Amino acid sequence: MQSSLKPSRLSLARRESLWAYAFIAPWILGFIIFTVGPMLASLFFSFTEYDVVSSPRWIGLKNYTNLIHDELFWHSLSITFRYAAIALPLGLVFSYLIAVLLNQKIRGINIWRTVYFLPSVIAGVAVALLWSRIFDARSGILNPFLAQLGIKGPGWFSDPDWAIPALVIMSLWGVGGNIIIYLAGLQGVPTDLYDAAKVDGATAWQRFRYVTLPMTTPVIFYNLVLGLIGTFQYFTEVYVISSGNSGTGGGLGGPARSTLFYNIYLYQNAFRYFHMGYASTMAWVLFIIVLGFTLLIFRSSDTWVYYEGQLKGR
Amino acid sequence: MTHPTMTPMRFNASGIRGQSFLLKGIATLIIAAGAAIIMIPFLFMLSTSVKDHAQLRQSPPPLIPEAITTVEINGQEEPLYQVNIDGQITEMALVKNRPGGKGLFVDPARPDETHELVIADQTALTHLEVHWENYPEALRQMKFNKLLLNTLLVTFVGMAGMLFSCSLVAYGFSRFRAPWLNVLFILLLSTIMLPSQVRLLPTYVLFNKLGWVDTLLPLIVPQFFANAYDVFLLRQFFMTIPLELDDAAKIDGASPLQTLMYVILPQARPALISVAIFHFLYAWNDFYEPLIYLHSPEHWTLAVGLQTFNALYAVNTNYIMAASAVMILPPIILYFLAQRIFTQGVVFTGVKG
Amino acid sequence: MKKNLFNVLTLLVLASALLSACAGAAPATPVEKVKVVIFVGMGTGTDPDQVDAQNKLAEKFNSTHDNIEIEFLIVPHEEYATRYLAMLSGGNAPQLVGPNGISSVAEFFDTWEDITPYIEAEKLDLSDFYGPAVALNQYPDKNTGLPLGLYPSYLYYNKDLFDAAGLDYPTHDFEDKSWNMDKLREVAMQLTVDKNGKNATDADFDPENIVQYGYDDSWDGMRGTLADWGAENVGRPTTSDYKTAVADSPEWIQGLQWVSDGVWKDHFIGSAEVQAGRDSAGVDPFGPGTTGMFYSHTWYLAEGLHDLTFSADIAPYPYNPKGERIARIDADNFTIPKDAKNKQQAWEVMKWLTSPEIIVDVCRIYGCIPARKSVQAKFLEQLKTDYPGIDYDVIFKSIDYLDKPNNEEWIPEWGKIEDALNNGLSLIYSGEEKDATKVLTDSNAEVQKILDEYWASH
Repeated sequence: MQSSLKPSRLSLARRESLWAYAFIAPWILGFIIFTVGPMLASLFFSFTEYDVVSSPRWIGLKNYTNLIHDELFWHSLSITFRYAAIALPLGLVFSYLIAVLLNQKIRGINIWRTVYFLPSVIAGVAVALLWSRIFDARSGILNPFLAQLGIKGPGWFSDPDWAIPALVIMSLWGVGGNIIIYLAGLQGVPTDLYDAAKVDGATAWQRFRYVTLPMTTPVIFYNLVLGLIGTFQYFTEVYVISSGNSGTGGGLGGPARSTLFYNIYLYQNAFRYFHMGYASTMAWVLFIIVLGFTLLIFRSSDTWVYYEGQLKGR
Repeated sequence: MTHPTMTPMRFNASGIRGQSFLLKGIATLIIAAGAAIIMIPFLFMLSTSVKDHAQLRQSPPPLIPEAITTVEINGQEEPLYQVNIDGQITEMALVKNRPGGKGLFVDPARPDETHELVIADQTALTHLEVHWENYPEALRQMKFNKLLLNTLLVTFVGMAGMLFSCSLVAYGFSRFRAPWLNVLFILLLSTIMLPSQVRLLPTYVLFNKLGWVDTLLPLIVPQFFANAYDVFLLRQFFMTIPLELDDAAKIDGASPLQTLMYVILPQARPALISVAIFHFLYAWNDFYEPLIYLHSPEHWTLAVGLQTFNALYAVNTNYIMAASAVMILPPIILYFLAQRIFTQGVVFTGVKG
Repeated sequence: MKKNLFNVLTLLVLASALLSACAGAAPATPVEKVKVVIFVGMGTGTDPDQVDAQNKLAEKFNSTHDNIEIEFLIVPHEEYATRYLAMLSGGNAPQLVGPNGISSVAEFFDTWEDITPYIEAEKLDLSDFYGPAVALNQYPDKNTGLPLGLYPSYLYYNKDLFDAAGLDYPTHDFEDKSWNMDKLREVAMQLTVDKNGKNATDADFDPENIVQYGYDDSWDGMRGTLADWGAENVGRPTTSDYKTAVADSPEWIQGLQWVSDGVWKDHFIGSAEVQAGRDSAGVDPFGPGTTGMFYSHTWYLAEGLHDLTFSADIAPYPYNPKGERIARIDADNFTIPKDAKNKQQAWEVMKWLTSPEIIVDVCRIYGCIPARKSVQAKFLEQLKTDYPGIDYDVIFKSIDYLDKPNNEEWIPEWGKIEDALNNGLSLIYSGEEKDATKVLTDSNAEVQKILDEYWASH
């Protein structure tokens, strides 16, 4: 036995710290080798004018000041915010409720779970093409269906006002991943708590409200933080759908810049306009924004997230 | 640490059983309805995968693959309609369009006799036409077998590396106190807050200098050094496991590593399964990084190969759907199998201490 | 249990790392052949059939050349930009890039080598190339490559629809000045039919249920659409010193309003919704037989003109209101990145690809007209076999009416201005804005701002 006989408290804490760093070491190593270099490089680029083919030219804060005066920066930021404000809460609640439903001990529940999981398994290219077709006003299947209900469907991806709702619907279809995480969390709720609740005579709703919900706050927290980070960096789906647009469709970010998400505009600056320095500036500004929101959520987590195995004094 | 409080209330114990049956019934109904809606796009995907280009053009596209029935008249294939002439219903072919939405129809048995009728009043005839050959053709064109090997290698070796490294790192972040640990955790998360587009070129330069471009290494090796998503998830799970278990192990003389392996990880099985599945999915479908690092088609993964159908002038939607349909099989089978371990997972009986 | 697994897997990884390291290390055979990598993906060339054809072409070259080996590097079209820039910044630029349209030459303009010294060093004879084709590669400070192929533009028309409407086919006489934009509009309106069979000139026409459109030009952007209207700078939205934006020229406004009215007032052009419908069904505007006249280029022959269920032919593009005919042109070439190694060998391959013996085969893969006069007869025979029954004269004569300055040619901040202008076009086609004057005034202001920012730091 090594540790328990040591009298000095300092040593114990030091030992614990060393163990901590030892376990974290793989990540730290990888961070140093693969991540920190490119990250710092992009930070450097944000203070330069860099067109990739010639050397970066230092211009100080000029990119940042230009950014503030760039109408498209604000436009893309607002589109991203609006999408996040809708898709994030909807996605979180929707996937949680489905996970609760799928957590029942019903015959064949495995098959149902697989069905709900299926959409998130399909390759992005296929999903985008599929939904482009489904949503298409002229040659799709959604609008004829709506017509049968007497509703005239909008242009969806070809209508600047309806492109984002279409994207939200598409993202809700693919929440399978979130559902799995919630399911894992729900599975991890100790059954003795439910037993105790039943003994006390709690209804299903009460069991949900006072056992399930609090005990799954760790995974809710996870999905919230990653959901935030993900929706702010929304890119791939829009890229696949609108990069097929010809000139008349407004190209990437169309129609009429209604899907010009922040990362799309960033991508264009980086790889189409040869403004890699400016793109790096955009990246770091987004970083600050997302970091800010994340820290807020972390700070708030003490009030609403419950961990059974949380260490004191953190 | 506060337990969720259970305020004693008055409940009707016998009504619970009835309630529970009803609730399960309602739940099943909702699940089934939702599943039906979810499946519609998927069915549409399957239907698209067995159509040929002519069938793809139909709008709106039928869920069941149909094709327009044609008949040969004077050496040309003409579409067949069910026409109504003075109350008599026969089948005729449309041979020529006339002004005003009318067309010339002929009875195939008497091709010289033409009738001019309004096209919109007639019904085009269709028949079931399923092109199963799209599947072998799509797989052949994208060189499925070779790419499958690459993809399996990347996926499974990466998964092993990820499970290994992320378990260690998550354990470090959740079960210990150390100076700057919180800061390091935020740093870990911050690595995914920076849009990857701006790291792409410097990372490519790095891998190029290592000589790893056009190999599978950039996709595999970094997995052995943990990543924010999986560490974060595992950390959340580890933090739901009561500390009493750790303490019990320590009293039994276990080192932290042993505690991890014999106490924590078994408890966290649902989480481990989840991250394994996620990693599988990610590696299986990811094309963003492989597209940059893999030059020769022999090294491509399946997701990259799928892009070959998305060419500039010819989007072969049917082949894309066919190939994608085949590609979803391994993840789905894996998920289905994993379910067993998933639900067997944690039946925690509790430690009173 | 887990430890063993970990050990095995660690060994696996080390093994594969070793293997790939060995593979990447010095090859056993002495390197005599210089490798010329041809980056395909900026334009056409990524279709599986084309990939096979290109590999055969590579075999042909490699078997007849001792010191150079070529390899076609196929890049999925979506990723051409990121991959190209990655290769450049990583120091392993490809030796040749192509086939490049004028637009992708413009997009990456600063990365190309000027081949003028190569031409002059061996006093290469360019007389066999079409003059306009050579000129299209000539920029103030560089020549970007030997011409490979041309894609003149003209109208594809559906004869059956003309018959059904009782109309005469468009004239094939290039000198007939009565074939102008007004006449085009008239004809197009009569070819636009609703589901009840009424055309757009009819009082009872139902614009909500159109089954057939008279005219379509949806596969091009703002610059391409408006180049033909005869503005002073034709297809270029700036003056020749690239300092002033001229997107709001009277001719451009007139042209865009013609389009806007065509979509929203006279209804003979399909809106953005209609085009999206075709895109997601994976069809082109002309093939399904629902468009009377489709303004496009020669490259459409390769894709669209062989599965047709109706008779089609081609006719010259009409005269614009100023009495001139401008039929925009696309052109392809191969380019050499400045930062590539072995550029001399790349030059050799470029010459081979555009040589009289090989150019016809290359053009067949990509669907262009070879830019050499001497192979025209041979190519015409090919055309006749591949696409029987059309008026081949129209193809060749249209070359003479190309737009100069070209609608795709380089201007500073090419990509950014392109996106700004296409945003304007998208406003019109989506119906967000129907007034061409407003759209072009706003777009022009945006372009001017972009130019000003550019010149402030150059």
